[in-house]
Amino acid sequence: MAVCSAYTTQSLHSTCSISTPAKTHLGFHQKQVVFYRRSSKRGGSGSSSGPCVITCSAGDSQTVVIGLAADSGCGKSTFMRRLTSVFGGAAEPPKGGNPDSNTLISDMTTVICLDDYHSLDRTGRKEKGVTALDPRANDFDLMYEQVKAIKSGVAVDKPIYNHVTGLLDPPELIKPPKILVIEGLHPMFDERVRDLLDFSIYLDISNEVKFAWKIQRDMAERGHSLESIRASIEARKPDFDAYIDPQKKYADAVIEVLPTQLIPDDNEGKVLRVRLIMKEGVKHFSPVYLFDEGSTISWIPCGRKLTCSYPGIKFHYGPDTYFGNEVSILEMDGQFDRLDELIYVESHLSNISTKFYGEVTQQMLKHADFPGSNNGTGLFQTIVGLKIRDLYEQITSSKTAAPLEATKA
Amino acid sequence: MATLRFNSLTGTLEKNPTSFFSSNPRLCWAYFQCNNKGERRASRMTVKAMGAAKYKGTQMREKKLTEMIEKKVTEAKQVCEGDETSEECKVAWDEVEEVSQAKADLRLRLEIEKKDPLESFCQENPETEECRIYED
Repeated sequence: MAVCSAYTTQSLHSTCSISTPAKTHLGFHQKQVVFYRRSSKRGGSGSSSGPCVITCSAGDSQTVVIGLAADSGCGKSTFMRRLTSVFGGAAEPPKGGNPDSNTLISDMTTVICLDDYHSLDRTGRKEKGVTALDPRANDFDLMYEQVKAIKSGVAVDKPIYNHVTGLLDPPELIKPPKILVIEGLHPMFDERVRDLLDFSIYLDISNEVKFAWKIQRDMAERGHSLESIRASIEARKPDFDAYIDPQKKYADAVIEVLPTQLIPDDNEGKVLRVRLIMKEGVKHFSPVYLFDEGSTISWIPCGRKLTCSYPGIKFHYGPDTYFGNEVSILEMDGQFDRLDELIYVESHLSNISTKFYGEVTQQMLKHADFPGSNNGTGLFQTIVGLKIRDLYEQITSSKTAAPLEATKA
Repeated sequence: MATLRFNSLTGTLEKNPTSFFSSNPRLCWAYFQCNNKGERRASRMTVKAMGAAKYKGTQMREKKLTEMIEKKVTEAKQVCEGDETSEECKVAWDEVEEVSQAKADLRLRLEIEKKDPLESFCQENPETEECRIYED
């Protein structure tokens, strides 16, 4: 396997000439473009001292890979919609393909559902007595190979798991996007796949909130009742705790959703306390903070300048440890009722990687009908989306900066 | 989603729809902006059961998923009667979860995004049975 770094062409000096053979003399295939820098007559802009060969690859072979662990379905979750929206454009299923495809594609991003890597379909799992949560129901070798291929710029034929029929459908072609998001139950389970991730997120919903959300989701269905919803959660819990939950220690960011502490004995799951747990020392990722980085802050924005309705909003920020890692935790309890509350909060947060003042608020308003738009889930999902955009831009610009450094040598 | 809505095109009312709306205002919050009383702000009313399904194929999928949920819940209850901690019991409830989520995803797509999943397929293949426009 050839070692080939990915660079974009724009920032290279114009004295580079471009040859694009299908197969270069070095024996590489297709996507390799070799730039030869002529020895400059005058020394140019001071950045060269003789000829040098820069080997580059054209195209999208610098795919950034994001992992999202969530138990709430695939590629259609609110988080994914917010994330793709930050990059602009709406994510759609692949046009003209299998209508039961789980994949979402937008200009910049492709979201893959990891259920597509089930090695056992519904019947197979029933025979073997394993749930979808069990690693034995998933083909991690294929997952690793395909994510690795996409990351290095090679398109793959990915299987489709049809959630309606419970069968594995014929594969669909996935072309390498600028940003690949792998969403599902096991993005961080396999170590090899974990190493391919540029950033990983774990959505940690507490049991009480999970129960409340599933009631909201299922109570209108004819077949369901409170008991059946509860039984379903309980039955899945052992496998969930054994296989899914342990992944959170590997995540770069964890969004933890808990019941509120502002209303005593509130079990409706309406007001939420959401904690954004951000790992320190992650490359290209600087945690969000309140007022003074690294200190501990308790903040109630409602007061003289801002009036809020019951139960109000409460923030907390501070350093901590999480499964042995140094983290910073930003926490929001309560909900937004009005636009000015949201803008007020946004203006006091730092390191949110916005490109203009009010971008977070604008993104939240754009999807005001999504669940969580009035509380910490929507806020932190939006902020994580902006951090991912920032991470992507840093990664791609660091790749273009590298060859300029090389020419100075 | 537990809301009571009347669709001008089609309608099969869910069982006891009014009880959901009035007794569970909290359920309003999941997908809609609600006022303080938990009532949905929009003025129009539509029957939740049908959503915005345009093509016959989607309507059939919705129906199939609904039936599957019912069937699999019954199965799970039966299987778990013997031993709640058995593998068969876990798998049975996992299947319930899978189809419940599939139905919820379809509903979300139709109600929030207002896009029929068969849209692009049916533009290419308007002649197929699945792509007949759903009519009452």
